[in-house]
Amino acid sequence: MTERITLEVPASLSALPTVRLVLGGLGARLDLSLDDVDDLFLATDRLLEAALGAEDLTDFRLVCLVDESSLRITAGGFRSQRLRDQVADTPGGCIDLCLLLRRLADEVVVEEDGDGFRVVIVKHRTKPAP
Amino acid sequence: MSSREDRSANDPLDLKTPPGVPAQDPGEAEDAQAGGSGSAPAGRRRGRADADRRDQYLLRRYHLHGDRKARDELITMYLPLVRSLARRYASRGEQFDDLVQVGSIGLIKAIDRFDLSRGVELTTYATPNIVGEIKRYFRDKGWSVRVPRGLQELNIRLNKVIDELVPKLQRAPTINELAEAANATPEQVLEALETSQAYNSISLQASPDGQSGEEDAGLIDYLGGEEEAYDTMEDRTTLAGGFAKLDKRERYILHLRFFEGLTQSQIAERVGISQMHVSRLIRRSLEKLREEIGDLDNPLPPRSPDGER
Repeated sequence: MTERITLEVPASLSALPTVRLVLGGLGARLDLSLDDVDDLFLATDRLLEAALGAEDLTDFRLVCLVDESSLRITAGGFRSQRLRDQVADTPGGCIDLCLLLRRLADEVVVEEDGDGFRVVIVKHRTKPAP
Repeated sequence: MSSREDRSANDPLDLKTPPGVPAQDPGEAEDAQAGGSGSAPAGRRRGRADADRRDQYLLRRYHLHGDRKARDELITMYLPLVRSLARRYASRGEQFDDLVQVGSIGLIKAIDRFDLSRGVELTTYATPNIVGEIKRYFRDKGWSVRVPRGLQELNIRLNKVIDELVPKLQRAPTINELAEAANATPEQVLEALETSQAYNSISLQASPDGQSGEEDAGLIDYLGGEEEAYDTMEDRTTLAGGFAKLDKRERYILHLRFFEGLTQSQIAERVGISQMHVSRLIRRSLEKLREEIGDLDNPLPPRSPDGER
């Protein structure tokens, strides 16, 4: 069964710890490893920080879908072309947002959303070795 | 020892002792603390006695006559003791120089509060003052924001638990496994992990055991076998975008994480530090990168094979 958790927090750096705690809780429910949870934290932090720098936002809106094997985080309501380019570009030779997200998450997808777009970050649970 | 020296050493009002007594050997003060004088060679005992007489003379100059130069001289003489004690704590997350500064405050307090009538050596009185000041610094300043003691303790416990679980499980533990091993709830673990970002990272410039070695010989020097990795890395395009501004350790850890694809736990094992420390270092390095180039996403173009942009 897929659970849906919606989180809306003020668009500010001070809201990131709240986002991390929620994602951490979901990661714990999914039994993600500490490394994976920390990767998710970093990926989400960097995406939201970049969004803050790229456009005027009032809130961060995140929809999290949790099923038996993965955590899917969708951050939406973005309109900035600059942010879209940063996320969607092919990774370059340096540690930019594009490369960071793709190294930290299992999947990164940019989806159209009306006039804007949303960014989907997916982390799969890796079954622990017996 | 002459009768005059005996008299001057025991009489707190004798200000006539010539200041020509040899200055104390920097390492000797702590040796005397640790080993006592009973088994020390005669030469060392004599040197120690000379140093004590000189201390007493300077302390009397300062306390009875307000001679600030005598105070300054004592401070200078005992800085090696401060450095020696600070080195013991240098691998615990604070910069060595900061610890020396803090320890110096303890030394100055000891000199200022020294009671001539008690008949104790300055080293005996100063050592616990210096160590106490350093420990207080760790307690008060190790955390960059106020973190409740319970979370601090859980954070420290988690560090140990992670170090124990990773080799045992052969993978990074889950939050639930951490909670069980640390006798905490998953929520408490998450909260403690969150607060760990508030704790200052251990500097690899610090001595690995905190007790010996040259001041500038840090853990990074113990990664000598990995030097080739840096060279390989510099042959690639990864120096673009401010990478060169990071120190060796930061470049190495970012390289392992983002170009070699190692997990934080694997990096921790390879570098010999905790997973939580790796996590903090990655964040700090990315932050430095961003500060250096302004925006991670508007970097300089990658180098071409001939090194030009």
